[in-house]
Amino acid sequence: MKHFNIIIVLLLLWVLPNNSKAQQYTGTSGLIHIPSAEMHHEGDALIGAHFLNKNMMPDIGFLYNGEKYNTFDYYVGLTPFSWLELSYVCTERIRSKDSQGNIKWSKDRYASVKIQPLKEGKYYPAVAIGCNDVWTAAFYKDRPNVQLYYMNLYIAATKHFIFSNNELGVTLSYRHFYRDYNSKWNGIVAGITFRPAFFPQARLIAEYTGNEFLLGMDMLLWQHVRLQASMKNFKYVNAGLCLQFNLLGKKYLY
Amino acid sequence: MHHLYSSLFKRPFLWFVILLAFLCTGQPKAIGQTNTKGIDFFSGVDFNFRDINYKTQYEFLIRLSPGFKWSFGDHWQISGQVFIPIVNQYGNSYKYVHLNIFDLSKELRLGSLYLKASAGLFSSSRYGLDLKAFLPLCDWFAFEGQAGVIGSVYMTPYWEIVAPNRFVGTIGGDFYLPRWNTQFRGTIGKYIYNDFGFEMEIMRHFNHATASIYGRWNNYDKFDAGFRFVIALPPYQRKHRMVNFRPASNFRISYTVMYHQYTNRMYRTDPEENERDGWFSRDFLQWGSHTMEPDFRIIEMNKKAKGDKE
Repeated sequence: MKHFNIIIVLLLLWVLPNNSKAQQYTGTSGLIHIPSAEMHHEGDALIGAHFLNKNMMPDIGFLYNGEKYNTFDYYVGLTPFSWLELSYVCTERIRSKDSQGNIKWSKDRYASVKIQPLKEGKYYPAVAIGCNDVWTAAFYKDRPNVQLYYMNLYIAATKHFIFSNNELGVTLSYRHFYRDYNSKWNGIVAGITFRPAFFPQARLIAEYTGNEFLLGMDMLLWQHVRLQASMKNFKYVNAGLCLQFNLLGKKYLY
Repeated sequence: MHHLYSSLFKRPFLWFVILLAFLCTGQPKAIGQTNTKGIDFFSGVDFNFRDINYKTQYEFLIRLSPGFKWSFGDHWQISGQVFIPIVNQYGNSYKYVHLNIFDLSKELRLGSLYLKASAGLFSSSRYGLDLKAFLPLCDWFAFEGQAGVIGSVYMTPYWEIVAPNRFVGTIGGDFYLPRWNTQFRGTIGKYIYNDFGFEMEIMRHFNHATASIYGRWNNYDKFDAGFRFVIALPPYQRKHRMVNFRPASNFRISYTVMYHQYTNRMYRTDPEENERDGWFSRDFLQWGSHTMEPDFRIIEMNKKAKGDKE
Protein backbone atom coordinates (compact mmCIF):
# COMPACT_ATOMS: atom_id res chain seq x y z
CA MET A 1 0.00 0.00 0.00
CA LYS A 2 2.90 2.28 0.68
CA HIS A 3 3.67 2.49 -3.00
CA PHE A 4 0.07 2.57 -4.18
CA ASN A 5 0.24 6.25 -5.19
CA ILE A 6 3.45 5.70 -7.12
CA ILE A 7 1.92 2.76 -8.96
CA ILE A 8 -1.14 4.82 -9.90
CA VAL A 9 0.96 7.68 -11.25
CA LEU A 10 3.24 5.32 -13.17
CA LEU A 11 0.21 3.59 -14.64
CA LEU A 12 -1.23 6.94 -15.69
CA LEU A 13 2.08 7.93 -17.20
CA TRP A 14 2.38 4.70 -19.10
CA VAL A 15 -1.19 4.29 -20.26
CA LEU A 16 -2.09 7.82 -21.20
CA PRO A 17 -0.52 8.85 -24.36
CA ASN A 18 0.15 14.13 -26.88
CA ASN A 19 1.71 17.39 -25.80
CA SER A 20 1.41 19.17 -22.66
CA LYS A 21 3.25 22.12 -21.28
CA ALA A 22 0.94 23.12 -18.54
CA GLN A 23 1.09 24.39 -15.01
CA GLN A 24 -2.22 22.80 -15.50
CA TYR A 25 -4.07 23.61 -12.30
CA THR A 26 -3.87 27.33 -13.15
CA GLY A 27 -5.06 26.86 -16.72
CA THR A 28 -1.81 28.22 -18.10
CA SER A 29 1.39 26.69 -19.41
CA GLY A 30 4.19 25.77 -17.07
CA LEU A 31 5.47 22.72 -15.28
CA ILE A 32 3.55 21.35 -12.28
CA HIS A 33 3.68 23.97 -9.57
CA ILE A 34 6.20 26.33 -11.09
CA PRO A 35 5.82 28.62 -14.09
CA SER A 36 7.89 28.27 -17.23
CA ALA A 37 8.42 30.48 -20.29
CA GLU A 38 6.68 28.05 -22.63
CA MET A 39 3.33 29.05 -24.09
CA HIS A 40 0.36 27.19 -25.43
CA HIS A 41 -0.33 27.46 -29.14
CA GLU A 42 -2.11 30.55 -30.41
CA GLY A 43 -5.85 29.91 -30.32
CA ASP A 44 -5.76 27.18 -27.68
CA ALA A 45 -8.73 27.23 -25.35
CA LEU A 46 -8.85 25.04 -22.25
CA ILE A 47 -11.49 24.05 -19.80
CA GLY A 48 -10.66 21.61 -17.04
CA ALA A 49 -10.47 20.57 -13.42
CA HIS A 50 -7.63 19.49 -11.16
CA PHE A 51 -7.48 17.50 -7.95
CA LEU A 52 -5.25 19.29 -5.47
CA ASN A 53 -3.68 17.37 -2.66
CA LYS A 54 -3.80 19.23 0.65
CA ASN A 55 -0.02 19.25 0.65
CA MET A 56 -0.09 21.44 -2.43
CA MET A 57 -2.33 24.06 -0.86
CA PRO A 58 -1.36 27.36 0.74
CA ASP A 59 -0.91 27.18 4.50
CA ILE A 60 -3.93 29.30 5.32
CA GLY A 61 -7.28 29.81 3.67
CA PHE A 62 -7.79 26.14 2.93
CA LEU A 63 -8.18 24.92 6.52
CA TYR A 64 -11.18 23.38 8.20
CA ASN A 65 -11.10 22.87 11.96
CA GLY A 66 -7.45 23.81 11.77
CA GLU A 67 -6.55 21.11 9.23
CA LYS A 68 -5.76 21.23 5.58
CA TYR A 69 -7.96 19.26 3.24
CA ASN A 70 -7.84 17.89 -0.29
CA THR A 71 -9.75 19.96 -2.77
CA PHE A 72 -10.00 20.71 -6.46
CA ASP A 73 -10.14 23.60 -8.82
CA TYR A 74 -11.57 24.24 -12.27
CA TYR A 75 -10.64 26.77 -14.88
CA VAL A 76 -10.91 28.19 -18.36
CA GLY A 77 -7.83 29.30 -20.25
CA LEU A 78 -7.17 30.99 -23.57
CA THR A 79 -4.14 31.84 -25.65
CA PRO A 80 -5.45 34.68 -27.86
CA PHE A 81 -1.98 35.38 -29.26
CA SER A 82 1.22 33.40 -29.28
CA TRP A 83 2.64 35.78 -26.66
CA LEU A 84 -0.32 36.03 -24.29
CA GLU A 85 -2.14 33.56 -22.06
CA LEU A 86 -5.16 34.26 -19.90
CA SER A 87 -6.97 32.03 -17.46
CA TYR A 88 -9.62 32.14 -14.78
CA VAL A 89 -9.60 29.66 -11.90
CA CYS A 90 -12.01 28.73 -9.11
CA THR A 91 -10.57 26.75 -6.19
CA GLU A 92 -13.08 25.10 -3.89
CA ARG A 93 -12.96 25.82 -0.15
CA ILE A 94 -14.91 24.08 2.59
CA ARG A 95 -17.13 26.63 4.25
CA SER A 96 -18.99 24.36 6.64
CA LYS A 97 -20.02 20.78 7.31
CA ASP A 98 -23.27 19.65 8.83
CA SER A 99 -23.65 16.75 11.25
CA GLN A 100 -24.14 14.30 8.36
CA GLY A 101 -20.84 15.38 6.87
CA ASN A 102 -22.40 17.26 3.97
CA ILE A 103 -20.02 19.98 2.87
CA LYS A 104 -20.91 23.49 1.85
CA TRP A 105 -18.29 24.89 -0.46
CA SER A 106 -17.20 28.36 -1.33
CA LYS A 107 -14.68 29.47 -3.90
CA ASP A 108 -11.45 31.31 -4.19
CA ARG A 109 -11.33 32.88 -7.64
CA TYR A 110 -8.42 34.34 -9.51
CA ALA A 111 -7.39 35.39 -13.00
CA SER A 112 -3.93 34.78 -14.42
CA VAL A 113 -1.99 36.57 -17.13
CA LYS A 114 1.20 35.40 -18.79
CA ILE A 115 3.17 37.33 -21.39
CA GLN A 116 6.11 36.05 -23.40
CA PRO A 117 8.12 39.08 -24.60
CA LEU A 118 10.99 36.94 -25.90
CA LYS A 119 10.54 33.76 -27.91
CA GLU A 120 13.13 31.02 -27.66
CA GLY A 121 16.04 31.32 -30.08
CA LYS A 122 18.88 29.07 -31.08
CA TYR A 123 21.19 30.47 -28.45
CA TYR A 124 18.91 32.10 -25.93
CA PRO A 125 15.92 31.01 -23.88
CA ALA A 126 12.31 32.11 -24.05
CA VAL A 127 11.39 34.59 -21.34
CA ALA A 128 7.94 35.06 -19.85
CA ILE A 129 6.50 37.18 -17.08
CA GLY A 130 3.21 36.56 -15.38
CA CYS A 131 0.87 37.17 -12.51
CA ASN A 132 -1.73 35.06 -10.75
CA ASP A 133 -4.76 36.80 -9.26
CA VAL A 134 -4.41 39.91 -11.38
CA TRP A 135 -7.72 41.48 -10.35
CA THR A 136 -6.95 41.36 -6.64
CA ALA A 137 -3.40 42.46 -7.27
CA ALA A 138 -4.64 45.50 -9.15
CA PHE A 139 -7.37 46.62 -6.76
CA TYR A 140 -7.10 44.97 -3.33
CA LYS A 141 -3.54 44.00 -2.57
CA ASP A 142 -3.07 46.77 0.00
CA ARG A 143 -6.06 45.68 2.07
CA PRO A 144 -4.71 43.36 4.78
CA ASN A 145 -8.04 41.56 5.28
CA VAL A 146 -8.19 40.51 1.62
CA GLN A 147 -6.60 37.10 1.21
CA LEU A 148 -4.36 36.54 -1.76
CA TYR A 149 -3.87 32.80 -1.63
CA TYR A 150 -2.49 32.48 -5.10
CA MET A 151 -1.29 35.95 -5.92
CA ASN A 152 2.24 35.83 -7.21
CA LEU A 153 4.45 37.48 -9.78
CA TYR A 154 7.11 35.66 -11.72
CA ILE A 155 9.67 35.82 -14.45
CA ALA A 156 10.71 32.60 -16.13
CA ALA A 157 13.29 31.50 -18.68
CA THR A 158 13.08 28.21 -20.57
CA LYS A 159 15.49 26.65 -23.06
CA HIS A 160 15.09 23.40 -24.91
CA PHE A 161 17.89 21.17 -26.15
CA ILE A 162 17.39 18.52 -28.81
CA PHE A 163 19.48 15.37 -28.96
CA SER A 164 18.56 12.34 -31.06
CA ASN A 165 15.11 13.88 -31.46
CA ASN A 166 14.63 13.79 -27.72
CA GLU A 167 13.89 17.13 -26.13
CA LEU A 168 15.29 18.32 -22.84
CA GLY A 169 13.83 21.48 -21.38
CA VAL A 170 15.39 23.53 -18.61
CA THR A 171 13.40 26.16 -16.73
CA LEU A 172 14.62 28.70 -14.25
CA SER A 173 12.14 31.08 -12.65
CA TYR A 174 11.99 33.72 -9.98
CA ARG A 175 8.66 33.87 -8.19
CA HIS A 176 7.31 36.14 -5.51
CA PHE A 177 4.08 35.51 -3.58
CA TYR A 178 2.60 38.68 -2.20
CA ARG A 179 1.54 37.32 1.22
CA ASP A 180 3.98 35.91 3.77
CA TYR A 181 2.03 32.67 4.24
CA ASN A 182 3.20 31.46 0.84
CA SER A 183 6.76 32.66 1.24
CA LYS A 184 8.03 29.08 1.21
CA TRP A 185 7.50 29.13 -2.56
CA ASN A 186 9.31 32.42 -3.07
CA GLY A 187 12.63 32.89 -4.79
CA ILE A 188 14.40 30.81 -7.40
CA VAL A 189 12.49 27.76 -8.60
CA ALA A 190 13.60 25.40 -11.32
CA GLY A 191 12.63 22.34 -13.28
CA ILE A 192 13.58 20.07 -16.12
CA THR A 193 11.40 18.34 -18.67
CA PHE A 194 12.06 15.46 -21.00
CA ARG A 195 10.10 14.65 -24.12
CA PRO A 196 11.14 11.28 -25.58
CA ALA A 197 11.59 10.92 -29.34
CA PHE A 198 9.61 7.70 -29.45
CA PHE A 199 6.60 9.30 -27.80
CA PRO A 200 6.79 13.10 -28.10
CA GLN A 201 3.24 13.64 -26.93
CA ALA A 202 4.28 12.99 -23.39
CA ARG A 203 6.52 14.99 -21.15
CA LEU A 204 8.26 13.98 -17.94
CA ILE A 205 8.74 16.72 -15.38
CA ALA A 206 10.92 17.15 -12.33
CA GLU A 207 10.87 20.41 -10.43
CA TYR A 208 11.84 22.16 -7.26
CA THR A 209 9.25 24.61 -6.02
CA GLY A 210 11.40 26.34 -3.43
CA ASN A 211 10.09 24.04 -0.71
CA GLU A 212 9.57 20.61 -2.17
CA PHE A 213 10.33 18.34 -5.13
CA LEU A 214 7.67 17.25 -7.56
CA LEU A 215 7.72 14.58 -10.22
CA GLY A 216 5.08 14.19 -12.84
CA MET A 217 4.04 13.77 -16.39
CA ASP A 218 1.57 15.35 -18.75
CA MET A 219 0.25 14.60 -22.20
CA LEU A 220 -2.47 15.39 -24.69
CA LEU A 221 -4.76 12.57 -25.79
CA TRP A 222 -6.50 12.65 -29.13
CA GLN A 223 -5.45 16.30 -29.51
CA HIS A 224 -8.21 17.42 -27.16
CA VAL A 225 -7.80 15.78 -23.76
CA ARG A 226 -4.95 17.02 -21.64
CA LEU A 227 -3.88 15.10 -18.55
CA GLN A 228 -1.38 15.75 -15.86
CA ALA A 229 -0.43 13.61 -12.89
CA SER A 230 2.23 14.40 -10.35
CA MET A 231 3.57 13.51 -6.94
CA LYS A 232 5.01 15.70 -4.28
CA ASN A 233 7.92 14.15 -2.41
CA PHE A 234 6.95 10.75 -3.89
CA LYS A 235 3.85 10.65 -1.69
CA TYR A 236 1.09 13.07 -2.48
CA VAL A 237 -0.76 12.75 -5.77
CA ASN A 238 -2.24 15.61 -7.79
CA ALA A 239 -4.01 14.99 -11.07
CA GLY A 240 -6.09 16.90 -13.54
CA LEU A 241 -7.88 16.66 -16.83
CA CYS A 242 -8.88 19.35 -19.26
CA LEU A 243 -10.40 19.65 -22.70
CA GLN A 244 -8.38 21.60 -25.21
CA PHE A 245 -9.51 23.10 -28.51
CA ASN A 246 -7.61 25.19 -30.99
CA LEU A 247 -9.99 27.95 -32.08
CA LEU A 248 -7.92 28.62 -35.20
CA GLY A 249 -8.61 25.05 -36.25
CA LYS A 250 -4.97 23.99 -36.18
CA LYS A 251 -3.82 20.58 -35.07
CA TYR A 252 -0.67 20.01 -33.10
CA LEU A 253 1.09 16.85 -32.07
CA TYR A 254 2.25 18.69 -28.98
CA MET B 1 -34.11 77.89 -25.86
CA HIS B 2 -33.27 76.38 -22.53
CA HIS B 3 -36.91 75.44 -22.16
CA LEU B 4 -36.83 73.68 -25.53
CA TYR B 5 -33.78 71.60 -24.56
CA SER B 6 -35.21 70.61 -21.22
CA SER B 7 -38.57 69.65 -22.69
CA LEU B 8 -36.80 67.49 -25.29
CA PHE B 9 -34.83 65.65 -22.66
CA LYS B 10 -37.90 65.21 -20.49
CA ARG B 11 -39.85 63.75 -23.41
CA PRO B 12 -37.65 61.11 -24.97
CA PHE B 13 -40.42 60.07 -27.31
CA LEU B 14 -39.85 63.31 -29.17
CA TRP B 15 -36.33 62.19 -29.90
CA PHE B 16 -37.63 59.20 -31.67
CA VAL B 17 -40.11 61.16 -33.68
CA ILE B 18 -37.19 63.30 -34.82
CA LEU B 19 -35.10 60.23 -35.61
CA LEU B 20 -37.92 58.62 -37.54
CA ALA B 21 -38.56 61.83 -39.42
CA PHE B 22 -34.88 61.88 -40.33
CA LEU B 23 -35.10 58.31 -41.50
CA CYS B 24 -38.20 58.94 -43.57
CA THR B 25 -36.73 61.95 -45.29
CA GLY B 26 -33.58 59.99 -45.99
CA GLN B 27 -35.38 56.95 -47.33
CA PRO B 28 -35.37 57.87 -51.02
CA LYS B 29 -31.59 57.95 -50.89
CA ALA B 30 -31.34 54.65 -49.08
CA ILE B 31 -29.29 52.01 -50.79
CA GLY B 32 -30.92 48.74 -49.98
CA GLN B 33 -29.32 45.37 -50.50
CA THR B 34 -31.76 42.61 -51.12
CA ASN B 35 -31.39 39.98 -48.48
CA THR B 36 -32.63 36.47 -48.96
CA LYS B 37 -36.31 36.01 -48.38
CA GLY B 38 -37.46 33.21 -46.17
CA ILE B 39 -38.35 32.25 -42.70
CA ASP B 40 -35.95 30.52 -40.31
CA PHE B 41 -37.07 28.62 -37.26
CA PHE B 42 -34.29 27.89 -34.81
CA SER B 43 -33.61 27.01 -31.25
CA GLY B 44 -30.73 27.31 -28.87
CA VAL B 45 -30.21 27.28 -25.15
CA ASP B 46 -30.05 30.30 -22.90
CA PHE B 47 -27.60 29.19 -20.23
CA ASN B 48 -27.16 31.21 -17.05
CA PHE B 49 -25.44 30.48 -13.78
CA ARG B 50 -24.55 32.56 -10.75
CA ASP B 51 -22.69 32.24 -7.52
CA ILE B 52 -24.25 34.65 -5.10
CA ASN B 53 -24.83 32.66 -1.91
CA TYR B 54 -23.14 30.00 0.15
CA LYS B 55 -26.07 27.60 0.24
CA THR B 56 -25.39 26.21 -3.21
CA GLN B 57 -22.37 25.90 -5.42
CA TYR B 58 -24.07 27.58 -8.33
CA GLU B 59 -27.62 28.44 -9.23
CA PHE B 60 -28.65 27.64 -12.76
CA LEU B 61 -31.19 29.01 -15.15
CA ILE B 62 -31.38 27.03 -18.36
CA ARG B 63 -34.00 27.89 -20.92
CA LEU B 64 -34.78 26.69 -24.39
CA SER B 65 -34.83 29.69 -26.69
CA PRO B 66 -36.78 28.81 -29.84
CA GLY B 67 -37.31 31.66 -32.23
CA PHE B 68 -37.89 32.69 -35.79
CA LYS B 69 -36.69 35.27 -38.27
CA TRP B 70 -38.86 36.15 -41.20
CA SER B 71 -36.95 38.11 -43.82
CA PHE B 72 -39.21 39.50 -46.48
CA GLY B 73 -36.70 41.30 -48.63
CA ASP B 74 -34.84 44.57 -48.72
CA HIS B 75 -33.60 43.89 -45.18
CA TRP B 76 -36.97 44.01 -43.54
CA GLN B 77 -37.33 41.41 -40.85
CA ILE B 78 -39.75 40.24 -38.21
CA SER B 79 -38.20 38.19 -35.46
CA GLY B 80 -39.44 36.52 -32.34
CA GLN B 81 -38.16 34.36 -29.52
CA VAL B 82 -39.68 32.51 -26.59
CA PHE B 83 -37.94 31.42 -23.40
CA ILE B 84 -38.99 28.04 -22.04
CA PRO B 85 -37.46 27.28 -18.63
CA ILE B 86 -35.93 23.84 -18.23
CA VAL B 87 -33.92 24.33 -15.06
CA ASN B 88 -34.74 27.28 -12.84
CA GLN B 89 -32.96 28.00 -9.58
CA TYR B 90 -33.25 31.76 -9.98
CA GLY B 91 -36.67 32.14 -8.42
CA ASN B 92 -40.33 32.37 -9.26
CA SER B 93 -40.15 35.26 -11.65
CA TYR B 94 -38.13 33.10 -14.04
CA LYS B 95 -40.37 30.06 -14.05
CA TYR B 96 -42.79 31.19 -16.73
CA VAL B 97 -42.70 30.57 -20.45
CA HIS B 98 -42.62 34.02 -21.95
CA LEU B 99 -42.03 35.95 -25.10
CA ASN B 100 -38.53 37.39 -25.06
CA ILE B 101 -38.40 39.22 -28.38
CA PHE B 102 -40.99 40.09 -30.99
CA ASP B 103 -40.13 43.00 -33.23
CA LEU B 104 -39.93 44.44 -36.70
CA SER B 105 -36.61 45.74 -37.95
CA LYS B 106 -35.18 47.31 -41.03
CA GLU B 107 -31.57 47.80 -42.07
CA LEU B 108 -30.78 50.66 -44.37
CA ARG B 109 -27.86 52.66 -45.57
CA LEU B 110 -27.48 56.38 -45.98
CA GLY B 111 -24.19 57.03 -47.71
CA SER B 112 -21.62 55.42 -45.47
CA LEU B 113 -23.94 55.42 -42.45
CA TYR B 114 -25.52 52.07 -41.65
CA LEU B 115 -28.76 52.13 -39.71
CA LYS B 116 -31.03 49.58 -38.16
CA ALA B 117 -34.40 50.60 -36.79
CA SER B 118 -36.47 48.25 -34.66
CA ALA B 119 -39.85 48.46 -33.02
CA GLY B 120 -41.58 46.00 -30.75
CA LEU B 121 -40.72 43.82 -27.81
CA PHE B 122 -37.00 43.57 -27.03
CA SER B 123 -35.11 41.36 -24.62
CA SER B 124 -34.68 42.22 -20.94
CA SER B 125 -38.44 42.83 -20.74
CA ARG B 126 -38.28 46.08 -22.64
CA TYR B 127 -40.33 47.34 -25.55
CA GLY B 128 -40.34 50.44 -27.67
CA LEU B 129 -38.34 51.89 -30.52
CA ASP B 130 -34.67 51.45 -31.17
CA LEU B 131 -32.21 52.84 -33.66
CA LYS B 132 -28.69 51.58 -34.16
CA ALA B 133 -26.10 53.37 -36.25
CA PHE B 134 -22.69 52.36 -37.49
CA LEU B 135 -20.34 54.64 -39.35
CA PRO B 136 -17.15 53.01 -40.67
CA LEU B 137 -14.53 55.66 -41.38
CA CYS B 138 -11.98 53.17 -42.68
CA ASP B 139 -11.19 49.46 -42.48
CA TRP B 140 -10.00 49.78 -38.93
CA PHE B 141 -12.13 52.42 -37.26
CA ALA B 142 -15.84 53.06 -36.95
CA PHE B 143 -18.23 55.01 -34.80
CA GLU B 144 -21.29 53.31 -33.39
CA GLY B 145 -24.36 54.44 -31.54
CA GLN B 146 -27.64 53.14 -30.27
CA ALA B 147 -30.67 55.04 -29.04
CA GLY B 148 -33.99 53.82 -27.77
CA VAL B 149 -37.21 54.92 -26.22
CA ILE B 150 -38.39 52.10 -24.03
CA GLY B 151 -40.95 50.96 -21.56
CA SER B 152 -40.95 47.74 -19.58
CA VAL B 153 -43.24 44.73 -19.73
CA TYR B 154 -43.02 41.78 -17.33
CA MET B 155 -45.00 38.78 -18.55
CA THR B 156 -45.46 36.96 -15.29
CA PRO B 157 -49.10 35.95 -14.55
CA TYR B 158 -49.52 39.44 -13.18
CA TRP B 159 -48.56 41.49 -16.17
CA GLU B 160 -46.80 44.68 -15.42
CA ILE B 161 -46.45 47.26 -18.13
CA VAL B 162 -44.81 50.64 -17.91
CA ALA B 163 -45.33 53.07 -20.78
CA PRO B 164 -42.31 54.08 -22.88
CA ASN B 165 -40.84 56.87 -20.85
CA ARG B 166 -37.14 56.20 -20.78
CA PHE B 167 -34.51 57.35 -23.20
CA VAL B 168 -31.47 55.09 -23.35
CA GLY B 169 -28.48 55.01 -25.60
CA THR B 170 -24.83 54.30 -26.11
CA ILE B 171 -22.20 55.87 -28.27
CA GLY B 172 -18.67 54.78 -28.93
CA GLY B 173 -16.06 53.56 -31.33
CA ASP B 174 -14.58 50.35 -32.68
CA PHE B 175 -10.98 49.66 -33.68
CA TYR B 176 -10.42 46.57 -35.76
CA LEU B 177 -7.00 45.13 -36.49
CA PRO B 178 -7.49 42.80 -39.48
CA ARG B 179 -4.09 41.18 -39.24
CA TRP B 180 -4.86 39.87 -35.76
CA ASN B 181 -8.65 39.71 -36.09
CA THR B 182 -8.80 41.75 -32.94
CA GLN B 183 -11.40 44.36 -32.12
CA PHE B 184 -11.40 47.05 -29.43
CA ARG B 185 -14.81 48.41 -28.56
CA GLY B 186 -15.50 51.28 -26.22
CA THR B 187 -18.89 52.82 -25.43
CA ILE B 188 -20.41 55.20 -22.97
CA GLY B 189 -24.09 55.15 -22.32
CA LYS B 190 -27.22 55.48 -20.33
CA TYR B 191 -28.61 52.03 -19.73
CA ILE B 192 -32.01 50.46 -19.18
CA TYR B 193 -31.99 50.79 -15.39
CA ASN B 194 -31.22 54.49 -15.74
CA ASP B 195 -27.56 54.14 -14.80
CA PHE B 196 -24.70 55.86 -16.61
CA GLY B 197 -21.42 54.21 -17.40
CA PHE B 198 -18.92 53.00 -19.92
CA GLU B 199 -17.64 49.68 -21.19
CA MET B 200 -14.42 48.59 -22.88
CA GLU B 201 -14.14 45.25 -24.60
CA ILE B 202 -11.26 43.54 -26.38
CA MET B 203 -12.36 40.80 -28.73
CA ARG B 204 -10.24 38.20 -30.45
CA HIS B 205 -12.10 36.64 -33.35
CA PHE B 206 -11.18 33.08 -34.28
CA ASN B 207 -12.53 30.81 -37.01
CA HIS B 208 -15.88 30.02 -35.46
CA ALA B 209 -15.58 31.68 -32.09
CA THR B 210 -14.87 34.98 -30.44
CA ALA B 211 -13.35 35.37 -27.01
CA SER B 212 -13.31 38.70 -25.24
CA ILE B 213 -12.50 40.35 -21.96
CA TYR B 214 -14.25 43.46 -20.82
CA GLY B 215 -14.22 46.02 -18.07
CA ARG B 216 -16.99 48.44 -17.22
CA TRP B 217 -17.99 51.16 -14.83
CA ASN B 218 -21.27 52.70 -13.84
CA ASN B 219 -22.45 55.27 -11.38
CA TYR B 220 -24.16 52.73 -9.07
CA ASP B 221 -22.02 49.62 -8.81
CA LYS B 222 -18.74 51.10 -10.00
CA PHE B 223 -16.30 48.62 -11.54
CA ASP B 224 -16.93 45.21 -12.95
CA ALA B 225 -15.12 42.97 -15.40
CA GLY B 226 -15.50 39.64 -17.07
CA PHE B 227 -15.04 37.59 -20.14
CA ARG B 228 -17.26 36.34 -22.89
CA PHE B 229 -17.35 33.61 -25.50
CA VAL B 230 -19.46 33.60 -28.64
CA ILE B 231 -19.34 30.33 -30.50
CA ALA B 232 -20.89 29.81 -33.92
CA LEU B 233 -22.75 26.54 -33.79
CA PRO B 234 -22.49 23.86 -36.47
CA PRO B 235 -23.47 22.76 -39.04
CA TYR B 236 -21.37 25.34 -40.88
CA GLN B 237 -22.83 24.41 -44.23
CA ARG B 238 -26.52 25.10 -44.51
CA LYS B 239 -29.14 24.84 -47.18
CA HIS B 240 -31.48 27.79 -47.44
CA ARG B 241 -35.07 27.45 -48.60
CA MET B 242 -38.15 29.54 -48.06
CA VAL B 243 -38.74 27.72 -44.77
CA ASN B 244 -35.77 26.54 -42.74
CA PHE B 245 -35.29 24.70 -39.49
CA ARG B 246 -31.88 24.94 -37.90
CA PRO B 247 -30.02 25.26 -34.62
CA ALA B 248 -29.35 28.75 -33.28
CA SER B 249 -26.50 30.45 -35.10
CA ASN B 250 -24.46 30.93 -31.93
CA PHE B 251 -24.03 30.15 -28.28
CA ARG B 252 -23.05 33.14 -26.18
CA ILE B 253 -21.90 33.04 -22.61
CA SER B 254 -20.79 36.00 -20.59
CA TYR B 255 -19.11 35.90 -17.18
CA THR B 256 -18.97 38.86 -14.82
CA VAL B 257 -16.82 38.87 -11.73
CA MET B 258 -19.13 41.01 -9.58
CA TYR B 259 -22.58 39.96 -10.77
CA HIS B 260 -23.97 43.46 -11.11
CA GLN B 261 -27.29 42.39 -12.50
CA TYR B 262 -28.91 45.77 -12.93
CA THR B 263 -26.19 47.97 -14.33
CA ASN B 264 -24.55 48.49 -17.72
CA ARG B 265 -27.38 46.55 -19.30
CA MET B 266 -28.99 47.05 -22.67
CA TYR B 267 -31.66 45.06 -24.43
CA ARG B 268 -31.24 43.09 -27.62
CA THR B 269 -33.45 43.49 -30.64
CA ASP B 270 -32.49 40.31 -32.48
CA PRO B 271 -32.77 36.80 -31.00
CA GLU B 272 -29.31 35.93 -32.33
CA GLU B 273 -27.58 39.26 -31.69
CA ASN B 274 -24.05 38.86 -30.42
CA GLU B 275 -20.78 40.73 -30.13
CA ARG B 276 -19.06 38.65 -32.80
CA ASP B 277 -21.43 39.62 -35.60
CA GLY B 278 -22.44 43.03 -34.31
CA TRP B 279 -25.82 44.54 -35.04
CA PHE B 280 -25.94 44.25 -38.81
CA SER B 281 -26.27 41.27 -41.11
CA ARG B 282 -23.18 40.08 -42.86
CA ASP B 283 -24.35 40.73 -46.41
CA PHE B 284 -25.22 44.31 -45.46
CA LEU B 285 -22.14 45.55 -43.65
CA GLN B 286 -18.68 44.21 -44.44
CA TRP B 287 -16.60 45.51 -41.61
CA GLY B 288 -14.71 43.94 -38.73
CA SER B 289 -15.35 40.26 -38.25
CA HIS B 290 -17.60 40.31 -41.33
CA THR B 291 -14.45 40.55 -43.44
CA MET B 292 -13.27 37.19 -42.14
CA GLU B 293 -14.21 33.84 -43.62
CA PRO B 294 -17.93 33.42 -42.98
CA ASP B 295 -19.00 31.03 -40.25
CA PHE B 296 -21.70 29.55 -42.44
CA ARG B 297 -21.65 28.53 -46.04
CA ILE B 298 -25.21 28.97 -47.28
CA ILE B 299 -26.41 27.03 -50.27
CA GLU B 300 -29.43 28.72 -51.82
CA MET B 301 -31.81 25.90 -52.74
CA ASN B 302 -34.42 28.26 -54.28
CA LYS B 303 -31.99 29.70 -56.80
CA LYS B 304 -30.60 26.28 -57.48
CA ALA B 305 -34.07 24.92 -58.19
CA LYS B 306 -34.82 27.87 -60.49
CA GLY B 307 -31.51 27.37 -62.24
CA ASP B 308 -32.32 23.70 -62.77
CA LYS B 309 -35.62 24.58 -64.40
CA GLU B 310 -34.01 27.13 -66.68
